[in-house]
Amino acid sequence: MKKYIYKIAITVLSIGALTSCEDNLDQLPFDEFATENAFQTAQDFENGVRGAYLGLTATGLYGSSDAGSMLSAPDILADNVVLAQGGRNTKRILHDWNYNADITMRQFYIDAYAMIYRANQVIFFADGFEGDNKANVVAEAKALRALGHLNLVSVFGKIPTQSGDANSSLGVAYLTSADPNILPERLTVGETYELIAQDLRDAVADINDTNPEGRMGKDAVRLLLSRTYLYMGQWQNAIDATNGISTPIAPRGDVVGVWEDTNRSGLLFYIPNEAGILGNSIGVTWSQGNANSLIPEYVASFELNSLYASDDIRRDAYIFDGVNGGNPVNGIKKLFARPGGQNGLVDYKILRSAEAALNRAEAFFNLNNESSARAELDRVRTRRYNTPPSGETGNALRDAIRLERRLEFAFEYQRFFDIKRWGQGVNRTNDGDLADGSGTASDELTLPEGSNRLQLPFGQQSLDSNPNLVQNPGY
Amino acid sequence: MKTFLTKILTLSLVLFFAQTTFAQENTITGNITDDTGAPLPGVNIIIKGTSTGTQSDFDGNYSINASQGQSLVYTYIGFEAQEQTVGSSNTIDIAMVAGSVLQEVVITGYSRRNQTTQTSAVVSIGASDIAELTPTTSIDNLLQGKAAGVQVTAANGKPGQGAFVRIRGVGSLTAGASSPLYVVDGAIIREEDLASIPNSDIERLEILKDAATTAQYGSRGAAGVVVITTKSGNRNKEGVIRYSSRYGVTRGIEPNFDIMDARQKLQYEAEVFALGVSAAGSLPGVTTLPGSPERQFLLDTEVDWYDLMLRDGIIQNNNVSFSGGSERMDYFFSIGHDRNTGIIDQIDGFERINARLNTNFDVKDWLSVGVNVGYSRSTSDEPRDRNNVQNPFRALFDYNAYEPEFLLDDDGNPLLDENGNPVYNPTHTTFNVRGALLSEPAIAIQNNLLTSVNANVRFSDSFDYSFAVAVNSLNERNENFSKPGGILDAIIGDPNNPGNKLDTGTYRYDITLSNRLNYNLQNDNHNFNALGLFEYNYNENNGYRVRSIGFPSSALTTQSNAAQVTQGSTTRNILTLVSYGLFTDYDYQEKYLASASVRYDGSSNFGRDNRFGLFFSGSVGWNVAKEDFFQVDWINDLKLRASYGTVGNRNGITRYAAQDNAAFASYPGGSATTPSNIGNPDLKWETTKTSNIGLELNMFDRRVSLVSDVFQRRTEDLLFAIPTADEAGVGSIFGNLGTIENKGIEFAIQGDIIRNNNLKWTIGGNIAFLENEIVELPDGEDVTPANAFNITYSEGRKINEHYLVRYAGVDEATGAPLFFGADGETYRAGDLPEGENRVFQGKSTLADKEGGFFSNLNYKGFGLRTDFVFKAGNWVNNFVRSNLVSDAINIDDNQAVEAFNYWKQPGDTNVLPSPIFQNEANSVNSDRFLEKGDYIRMRNVTLSYNFNDEALKRTPINSLRIYVQGQNLLTFSDFWGDPEVGLSSGETISFANTVAPGEATLYSYPNAQSVQVGIDVSF
Repeated sequence: MKKYIYKIAITVLSIGALTSCEDNLDQLPFDEFATENAFQTAQDFENGVRGAYLGLTATGLYGSSDAGSMLSAPDILADNVVLAQGGRNTKRILHDWNYNADITMRQFYIDAYAMIYRANQVIFFADGFEGDNKANVVAEAKALRALGHLNLVSVFGKIPTQSGDANSSLGVAYLTSADPNILPERLTVGETYELIAQDLRDAVADINDTNPEGRMGKDAVRLLLSRTYLYMGQWQNAIDATNGISTPIAPRGDVVGVWEDTNRSGLLFYIPNEAGILGNSIGVTWSQGNANSLIPEYVASFELNSLYASDDIRRDAYIFDGVNGGNPVNGIKKLFARPGGQNGLVDYKILRSAEAALNRAEAFFNLNNESSARAELDRVRTRRYNTPPSGETGNALRDAIRLERRLEFAFEYQRFFDIKRWGQGVNRTNDGDLADGSGTASDELTLPEGSNRLQLPFGQQSLDSNPNLVQNPGY
Repeated sequence: MKTFLTKILTLSLVLFFAQTTFAQENTITGNITDDTGAPLPGVNIIIKGTSTGTQSDFDGNYSINASQGQSLVYTYIGFEAQEQTVGSSNTIDIAMVAGSVLQEVVITGYSRRNQTTQTSAVVSIGASDIAELTPTTSIDNLLQGKAAGVQVTAANGKPGQGAFVRIRGVGSLTAGASSPLYVVDGAIIREEDLASIPNSDIERLEILKDAATTAQYGSRGAAGVVVITTKSGNRNKEGVIRYSSRYGVTRGIEPNFDIMDARQKLQYEAEVFALGVSAAGSLPGVTTLPGSPERQFLLDTEVDWYDLMLRDGIIQNNNVSFSGGSERMDYFFSIGHDRNTGIIDQIDGFERINARLNTNFDVKDWLSVGVNVGYSRSTSDEPRDRNNVQNPFRALFDYNAYEPEFLLDDDGNPLLDENGNPVYNPTHTTFNVRGALLSEPAIAIQNNLLTSVNANVRFSDSFDYSFAVAVNSLNERNENFSKPGGILDAIIGDPNNPGNKLDTGTYRYDITLSNRLNYNLQNDNHNFNALGLFEYNYNENNGYRVRSIGFPSSALTTQSNAAQVTQGSTTRNILTLVSYGLFTDYDYQEKYLASASVRYDGSSNFGRDNRFGLFFSGSVGWNVAKEDFFQVDWINDLKLRASYGTVGNRNGITRYAAQDNAAFASYPGGSATTPSNIGNPDLKWETTKTSNIGLELNMFDRRVSLVSDVFQRRTEDLLFAIPTADEAGVGSIFGNLGTIENKGIEFAIQGDIIRNNNLKWTIGGNIAFLENEIVELPDGEDVTPANAFNITYSEGRKINEHYLVRYAGVDEATGAPLFFGADGETYRAGDLPEGENRVFQGKSTLADKEGGFFSNLNYKGFGLRTDFVFKAGNWVNNFVRSNLVSDAINIDDNQAVEAFNYWKQPGDTNVLPSPIFQNEANSVNSDRFLEKGDYIRMRNVTLSYNFNDEALKRTPINSLRIYVQGQNLLTFSDFWGDPEVGLSSGETISFANTVAPGEATLYSYPNAQSVQVGIDVSF
């Protein structure tokens, strides 16, 4: 009998230890929590909109993806850079215009829409929220959404002024809701730009004059709207949109420091990049190593380097004398390093006030207001040269405006789009990759105007995942 | 050979008849001993075909009346049955041989069943098999070719690295869900952690292949189950001390292609430059002229990077065990040490120490307790396994032979830095991995404690209850250091904060609490067993990741000395499972067999309303040979069995996949909300319906055995990361959609060609023919899985088919590469029709025939064993070849000699495209380098000698075996490179993320061959 009691006791104790097991099937995560918890308070919406900004730093968007991103692709696709033979041949497919559905900027495509999803999520949850910061946060989200779509349509679609058929050709899908299951269709270029402009107009109306570091304020959104109108060929709107931009153009003495993060002169939108918070070595998109043992992916083209006049401060600010394998090269200094610092770790500089002046110059020129155009152009030139060129008229003025835009925004995410929207093709010189123009030139030198390759193909997997997505012609 | 066999058969027949002819009754006496020579009492001796019999007495002696020609059968539990024909001698002494118990009992984790009564497709591998095949450090590699339907693909050749094991095909389309469940003494262990269990501690392992047994594991049995049982001591026996030791050398399997030497590469550069490949213009083949002093300097300082980078490694193993037991307890204790330095010069490889104590004791006559504790610690130097020159196995192909290891002065002597050390040559790749192996050390350390405790209470002869706790506690730590001033630090380091240390680690804890109530009813005819189960499994991972920069010295490797912490995070997640089960077995006279199981499992990672799944199985068997009407003498056993059941899978999805979750990251100004998971509250179990029909046949006094199974596995509600549109911005969402099917037939046959006192020759083999099909996909749309190269899933197609444009060879007229358009016509790359030109060709990464065969020859004490493995029908995308035969698009990298064979003039056939068309060739993702992965490999050859008792009589030694063993010494394959491909590139697609093992070559650690000598001795 005693034995029997022992047996029962042991059994009961063991089973008893387990009775509450089924409750343990209710598991909640530790490293994350339910999405609805994330959008309750004013602070939550601040976090939410920062999350959308964080999406900008994804490797394919404004990051250092080896497959190309906004930081690199617009110059690699154009004529400001040459493939460095001493590098790793990254993004060579872009430089040689050899892309196809299997090898294209899909990571950029994914990262841009992922950022847009986050912006849409903020807008969606803000609908049921009435905090003080609601209008500003929603405005920021709309501005980000517009920026994402503008980048996308610039790469994959035509630009309205590019050709007569541009507005009726296909642009990109414009996402205005955070819907995981959506299978959107491409809008026309004209429709896409209208929606971008609408979002930016809404944002300008509601956004704070200034927001904390790493976020856009009113000046930044005005500039984006101005650029959008410029791309649309709406010249007066492009001018009007810049009205009220108060941030001055960086004076000549500040220009070098802007790119070494020692001052923030003329910046309308930048993202501080500090170890422990972001700490992304974005400069590796252009080169690694130090100047004396540089491993460049691309170097400034001999042609571009030669275009900087001797008194143009930008040569010093944008290009440095590097050495690769014993050979002198024109290293790309934007994104390179802070003084003495880790290479590639610099702030993201996304919008600058100099663009407002150059947008206005171009718009005034197109409105046949040459004197205003010249005045705007000179606002930039007087802050770059000791003895700036001046006084051009007619086509010479137009070319001067275009040249100045190229010089000012070299390696700054615009060149390929400018070439496209001016209806031009890409023409590279036959100079090599070394500082004196010797070495090996780019494999391909010419991409004619009208080429289908001015619009990149959608990735095969993008096409596979959305049956409503139509491939660009010629791929 | 054939005539030799005929002679032997004839001879045995003659002897047989000779003996029957002169039958007359005698009194036979003899003495029976066990394998240690001790008298064995209680052995049953029966005259075959009669009911006449006797038993051996306390001293092992016996006596029985029998006629010449009659056969005496000697049986004793734990020993192999023996049969002796009565001849002219009246004395027959028998030495019983300790039995392969495994032939008789099958352990499924929840039950033990007699092999003759079990109704499931189960393969058992015993300690003796394992001992003969020890050269691997991990048990999974050893399974290859051993069991029909068990497909094993070595992940790569890195010491301590495991394998991808797939039982009967691929049961799921998500990564991590096709590996079987591994259970070690009741504790669950991940496939990638199997190297923490030394082979010498394993008593046996069972591979459960069909639902009759896997359904007992319910929700986790869908991919099959491998039950590993560690050793225990024998009761009532004197303790045994065993020592085994092995030592040998290992080297990489030599590639079956040649890469260019300096002279060839320089010539190739000049050739392609002359053709118009401008990128060659800056290379020395163009910038130095043949015959010039500069050219001569390059030739004089030539380096063979393959020889420089690799070395012969050392494999070493030492193991001691003590085992034994008294009346009420038994014990097994072992300690061991393993070392495999691997084949990369400059770093160490894998090293493991382990200890284990297994004890079982009877506390009361109604209460017994078992405690198994195994501990192991391994360290492994981790070379980069990525697709660039940081990986030594890519670097040794990329570096040109004219690029010396160190920068040289004009006299060819190394340049020295300010500390007097030679300066590594960055080479054209800008990175010298020889230097980096020293300046960028990476190490992985694992501490694994596997513990199980069980208590069994016997209420009566028919009722007992057991309670078990099994814990797998794994602490893994990875340290990656970029030394200040090192190769990588100079490229991506912060000059103000030199050096970079990353520490990551995970503490993995898995505990299973199990309650079992067992009922057993046995009488002459009926044997019934029922087991009720209540089980709870809890699995928790705790991770950390800390990175710092700014190290004052390369000798200081902990982060406490760092100037700045740049990353720090911890993670935690939990997965739980609650299970109820009822398993029953029944047999009638071991003739009619039946089993059934039900298991009801709830798992925390599914939607709230879909957590529980019901899994069941039923199986029947019929041992025809036990029927009275069955009178075929030469058939000893003939068993037919059939099973059907459902099993589940919950792997391959994240632990909180059913919930909509947001996570937070940092952004200037504060937290940043990021969507971390789009939840699917309907997420539920993936279910596999398995049917199996099997045949087991033993013939000719069990000299020949055959097992054959036909199976079908249909997996529904596939767990799937369903891709959303890229525009949706959320990646993929876990869901249940789609159906796949695997079916096949397996044969395993083994026979003793010769079996007599001095000579035994056994051969055997197994083969599985496998077919699979994707039956249904979400919305019928093709799915391109993440973490695979050019694999696409499509309805009606095989799993893991390569989806590529077809390469059509070289245009004879122009030398341009041609491709097939979707319309079947050939085109230049730029002229391919718009739209889809990729096609399915039925070429999958999965083999459709796989197996192994062996021969084991024993003559007196000598043994010669050879084991072969083979697979066929799989296709590998040979990226390594595409880089080495790149049409000069990688002209700055070294190339294979084959690259010279390019088109030179109209009419050239069987050539590579002309290098001037390199961009064209490179712009189409084609099947140009898709190759058949068929191979036969001699995995093992062992020559051994067992000293006989006579020789050992005067020594304290009980047994002594010495051997020499070779591994991977022979390979037959047409594949370009090594055909045994598992991981492509471990940092591109990790082991855990791999959905298509063997899909492509991409410079992962190559397989090695080895020769070792060893000794096994017991006292």
